[in-house]
Amino acid sequence: MNKKPDVSKAAKKILIIDDDKIFSKVLKDAMKVHKDGKYTTVHAVDGEEGLRKAKEEKPDLIVLDVVMPNVGGLEFLKNMKSDKDIPKIPVLVTSQYSDMEKISAATELGIKGYLVKADHTLDEIIKKIEDVLEGE
Amino acid sequence: MQTIVVIVVISASLLIAGFSYLRAKSLGKEARKKEEQVRHRMYELAILKEISDRIGYSLNVEKIVDIITASLEQFIPHSAASYMLLGPGKILFKVNLRKPVSPLFIDEVRGRMLDSLSALLEKDLSRVSVEATVVGVLTDEEAAESVNSFFNIPLVIGGNVVGVLTVADSAEGLYKEEEMTLLYKIVGQASRAVTRLEEVVKTEQRKLSAMVESMADGVVMIDKDYRVLVANPSAKRIVGFLAEEKPTIFDFIDALTGVFDIKGKLEEALKTGNTLAMDNVAVGERVFHILISPVSGHGTKKTELFGGVVIFHDITYEKELEQMKEDFISMMVHELRSPLDGIKKMSEFMGVDPAIREDEKRYREYIKLIHEGSSEILELVNDLLYVAKIESGKFDVDVELADIKDIIKQRIRFFETTAKDARIELTSLFDKNAKSEIRIDPLRISQALNNLISNALKFTKPGGSVVVQVLAHKQGQSIESEAQKVGIKWFLKDKEEKLKNYPDALFIAVTDTGEGISKSNMGKLFNKFKQFESVVRSGRRGTGLGLVIAKGIIKAHGGIIGVDSEEGTGSTFYFILKS
Repeated sequence: MNKKPDVSKAAKKILIIDDDKIFSKVLKDAMKVHKDGKYTTVHAVDGEEGLRKAKEEKPDLIVLDVVMPNVGGLEFLKNMKSDKDIPKIPVLVTSQYSDMEKISAATELGIKGYLVKADHTLDEIIKKIEDVLEGE
Repeated sequence: MQTIVVIVVISASLLIAGFSYLRAKSLGKEARKKEEQVRHRMYELAILKEISDRIGYSLNVEKIVDIITASLEQFIPHSAASYMLLGPGKILFKVNLRKPVSPLFIDEVRGRMLDSLSALLEKDLSRVSVEATVVGVLTDEEAAESVNSFFNIPLVIGGNVVGVLTVADSAEGLYKEEEMTLLYKIVGQASRAVTRLEEVVKTEQRKLSAMVESMADGVVMIDKDYRVLVANPSAKRIVGFLAEEKPTIFDFIDALTGVFDIKGKLEEALKTGNTLAMDNVAVGERVFHILISPVSGHGTKKTELFGGVVIFHDITYEKELEQMKEDFISMMVHELRSPLDGIKKMSEFMGVDPAIREDEKRYREYIKLIHEGSSEILELVNDLLYVAKIESGKFDVDVELADIKDIIKQRIRFFETTAKDARIELTSLFDKNAKSEIRIDPLRISQALNNLISNALKFTKPGGSVVVQVLAHKQGQSIESEAQKVGIKWFLKDKEEKLKNYPDALFIAVTDTGEGISKSNMGKLFNKFKQFESVVRSGRRGTGLGLVIAKGIIKAHGGIIGVDSEEGTGSTFYFILKS
């Protein structure tokens, strides 16, 4: 008897686009360690690499930093939206401080949430990621 | 005999008495005449004083002659006291009637006055319109008397005839020398007073206009008909006129199209009597706070509107400061909060993740990241401290004899790994003629070099190169040929002439094969404000203060720092230290 593969149990892929090495590393490791294979993560350092990886990896969710060199978060969102090769991927935007201008610009571009990194613990951030994934 | 003596004595006495009487009589007449003169003089003075008090400090000639004509009744008999004044494009004619005369009488007065004004000015006034006002008693259509006594006095202010004042009566032979003298004195006193006041006003006006001329704020003043009365040099510069130009309101409207409606705003201010303020108005490359106010003078009864004034107050610097504050906060948040938050999250995670203790590789990686993060924070805090010290003038250098070649070699070694990782060739090239021992603060010069080299590496793409070069310059020699001789490649085209005559010195340059810098951006490189802005806009890491600090260090050594660049070829950042 062939058992159907359990889609819900398959590891979700998270693309972290952030130039902050420490945050990216600790988020990656925390999701791997704590959630025991529930998630796989991919990392990109700016919007340009992020767009390439979004195409190649087809992640289930993107954690996107706003302020990055070269191609920043807002530009990435615009590029991703206009790129037909990329399916609709939920995006959770992160930043180091609540810049209302950028928040509203990002909201207009269609994001699932916005959080200020330093205002949340790692667990809270992971919880938020999981909430967004569950809502999909 | 006795009788004869008595008669003689009596006669003599009588004679003496008679003489005495006659003498006394003549003396009394003289005294009375003198007394009369004194009284008359006092009367004159009283009149002059009274009129002068009424005139006060008025500069309004119309008002002054009004007062004079109204006061004349007390001491000069007349049917009509009138004046004619030259106004802009017209003649004001005012008659103060004391006795009911016929309209023909007034016409005659008017005709005579116009003739004498014409003669005084040597001008044909027949075509100029006359605005007539008659006050006092009513005219009498029945009255038949014509002008039989008439006396005209020119009104002269500051040497120029401005009108005439006239007394006229239907009675004959009225105006004798006495009356004429008094009237001359009255009018003379008034015109002297006005002339003096006008001089004072002119001097004050000159002072005022000198002040307006030298003001940093742009000032444009217009009259009620929107004629530009004042456009000070600042205003012309701000709006983009040449100093010698005399712009009209239409020129201002054209020049300010798309900025603000100068005429519309002036109309609004004049109409409402309120001052209008506009904040953050960009004119050209600068930002202004603009005030538009009606200008009015306070008369005795009502306020008279003269026109309007537009003031351009430059707030670019304040705006820059404000922007810098915002950029600075953004930069601090990103550069300080990111690594701090990362370190905090990482240490928390290490505490709750037991696996980390067994995973040596991951453990080392974490330690390395924490070290890098804290170094970044320290670097940022140090940079800010350096800039604060440079700006407060407390940046000291500890000068000693040091070998610049050694310092450069050390710096190259320090950046070797970074350059290798970025696949950039990092080398140095020394002029053999250069005396490498030089009096500098080796620590600070190393720091300046660090900033220039790390910048060059940051902006050079993989496969490119960064070279640190040292050239000995002799005053008056062409730097380019000096460089060619020793095989150094410079990008110092624009500043070649300027630097040629620099005293004997060592030129230390960091040349990269990066994308180059546009002319407009070159000027911003050593500016704190612009660097914060560029860091924030680009999302690049770092404070952007490296070049600002390098400039402070080189300046503290009495040297100069600069940049030359060719877009698409690369850039040369150089500093010059006197040998």
